[in-house]
Amino acid sequence: MAAGFKTAEPLEYHRSFLKENCRPDGRELGEFRPTTLNTGSINTADGSALVRIGNTTVICGIKGELAAPSTDAPDKGYIVPNVDLPPLCSSRFRPGPPGEQAQAASQFIADVIDGSQIIKKEDLCIEKSKLCWVLYCDIMCLDYDGNLLDACVVTLLAALRNTQLPTVTINKETDLAEVDIQHKRHLQINKHPVASSFAVFDDTVIIVDPTAEEESLATAIITAVTDEDEQLCAFHKPGGSSLSAEKLQDCITRAVARHREIGRLIDKVIESTKASK
Amino acid sequence: FVEERSGVGSVLREYGSEQNLLSKPDGSASFIQGDTSVLAGVYGPAEVKVSKEIYDRATLEVVIQPKVGMASVRERAREQCVRETCEAALLSTLHPRSSFTLVLQEVHDDGSLLSCCLNAACMALMDAGLPMGRLFCGVTCAIDAESQIITDPTAQQEKESRALMTFAIDSKDCSVMMSLTKGSFSVKELQQCIAVSQKASERIFQFYRDSVQRRYSKIL
Amino acid sequence: MPVDTKRVRGPDESQSPLVFLPPTAQTCEVLRRPGDRGKGDVRPLFARCGLVSQAKGSAYIEAGNTKIMCSVYGPRETERKDDTDMKSGRLVCDVRLAPFSCQKRGAWIQGSEERDLSLALSESMQPGVCLHRYPRSQIEVNVMVLENDGGVLAHAVTCASMALADAGIEMYDVVLGCALRQDGDSCLVDPDFSEERGSWQAGYGENQGRVTVALLPNFNQVSGLHADGEMREDTLTAAVRTCMDGCHKLYPVVQQAILRAVKRKAPPPEK
Repeated sequence: MAAGFKTAEPLEYHRSFLKENCRPDGRELGEFRPTTLNTGSINTADGSALVRIGNTTVICGIKGELAAPSTDAPDKGYIVPNVDLPPLCSSRFRPGPPGEQAQAASQFIADVIDGSQIIKKEDLCIEKSKLCWVLYCDIMCLDYDGNLLDACVVTLLAALRNTQLPTVTINKETDLAEVDIQHKRHLQINKHPVASSFAVFDDTVIIVDPTAEEESLATAIITAVTDEDEQLCAFHKPGGSSLSAEKLQDCITRAVARHREIGRLIDKVIESTKASK
Repeated sequence: FVEERSGVGSVLREYGSEQNLLSKPDGSASFIQGDTSVLAGVYGPAEVKVSKEIYDRATLEVVIQPKVGMASVRERAREQCVRETCEAALLSTLHPRSSFTLVLQEVHDDGSLLSCCLNAACMALMDAGLPMGRLFCGVTCAIDAESQIITDPTAQQEKESRALMTFAIDSKDCSVMMSLTKGSFSVKELQQCIAVSQKASERIFQFYRDSVQRRYSKIL
Repeated sequence: MPVDTKRVRGPDESQSPLVFLPPTAQTCEVLRRPGDRGKGDVRPLFARCGLVSQAKGSAYIEAGNTKIMCSVYGPRETERKDDTDMKSGRLVCDVRLAPFSCQKRGAWIQGSEERDLSLALSESMQPGVCLHRYPRSQIEVNVMVLENDGGVLAHAVTCASMALADAGIEMYDVVLGCALRQDGDSCLVDPDFSEERGSWQAGYGENQGRVTVALLPNFNQVSGLHADGEMREDTLTAAVRTCMDGCHKLYPVVQQAILRAVKRKAPPPEK
């Protein structure tokens, strides 16, 4: 019976739960799904992380390459983030070039990197106007069950913390790059941004960490990114039903609390990977 | 063509708009904020591709064309923001299984481009006579190095700013429909910017009203 | 030059740091395999079904460092109306190598290697699937290689058939894959990346090549055979036999993983 109701009237089905201040999967309105993290599992990448938020699974692999800095910023390296939603992760995505959602997610991640200064691009410079690192941050969704952006930011941050790059010097005589693969060093992580997403139901009820089904029924989605100093690095709400400033404040307060939870999780996982080595 | 001079101490640049200036689209408008200028055209309701058909409402497509070159990921993210804002304002359930297309052409970018796009979009939708439950307007705020809030910044001011936020404000209760930010800022600064934008939105909505009134007073 | 406008772009040109390494570091002769793996042994396989919540069926395989994920969607209406087959379904296979899966970073846009793999996978899988049971519909098999440490096609075949079984698609038999690297008179079963591509002391010449076999274990029939390089007839025959033996070694692991998934989906009635 319940399954039929869910298929025929999905919105009513969700409303009947929200009325009782809970959700179909048993969560409270302000409760995130269990989040797990695994780092360094991809050996071909310089850094990698896999995160699961409920069913949503996102993997990030970071590869460093060498390039010449651009002429308008000769002392800066590049960070190139891309989010991909392959047809593997859900039947809603078709093969071929990335769709609007994937492109908007890529831009969002690029904005978070720029806004938070997660890594100083100056740190990626090896020799001014000659050589610098390009960090390709390739993020791929393996299982899409909503809340892509939160998962992307967590996996990006964990993968960057996991990344080790070989030391590169420029030989003064030959003017060529010399790579020392034996001596690797970690990146200097400047800020630790964490995203928290919210969905708005019927223009009034706000729930955190929406699943794919909740996302498709919601009237608006909000994503707030905070760092450890309780500064906002992004406050993204692509349209949808309008909200008052007070409601937005509630979201930010929850996002700050979420930052502490995720910060602890990443620290724990990074420590345990270090210890096991 | 209607133009309003911003008063002394005003936070917005001079802005102006013209509706129904293109003959082919079902609705069109240009919007100018200082030196930033956007041209908008709306087509619809029209037939929809089967693959994009939604059974209980109209499908809205938004295309943003940059002044030079091809649209990139940045434009795609902006398109998403404009589309979802328009979807919330339009009563698209009144035109099920049909399509609306909104094309925004950047004419010149001198800062606050996204808010100008939103304003042009709203004027064009009004001109096309599509059913809307509310109006919306876009306001961009920049926070400069001295933590001063500048509304409707120029490209130069945007470049020097520490943070940049664009909001779409609802005409019904002045609440926030859309928010897109760049850079880092405190919660207090966000709230201040929202408050400033809400205040500025009143002037833009008054401008909408005046320009439509003047236009129809000539015809009727 | 065509520009990819749908992705965040980096600099026009960048090189892997490995390019700058002195070339001596790259030549190595594989005399003995790491650990106690013999030349005829396959790598221990980790296999699980049903990891992707959104898919009809899915599987994940880890053999050594090779990590492959596969999800199956369908049967659903064919997208291409022009070649709808009234009598038989279509098997659409798509293999993608994640950009970070290889030593050298790959592009996002599907390259010729991925297209070749997709075609080879599709051809190897088709004999195993009862496509006549799904007229006018298509079954989508999406494979993602997360890490390429050799034997990608062989493991993709195994992974795909597990995902198809998990999706409840009717099949004659599971399809298992095994790869082999022939080096003169000796051969290495289930080679890793360095064994597969590494420069060999013998260099190019007779009896140098790679073989991948897809096998239906219950019928003992070969559904796919890919060989490149130069091999004598008897060497190739022997290589195919070795691969078939390798497939049979994988079978219990695959069987167990599928069984476990079935038990989880439909728990046996408690007594």
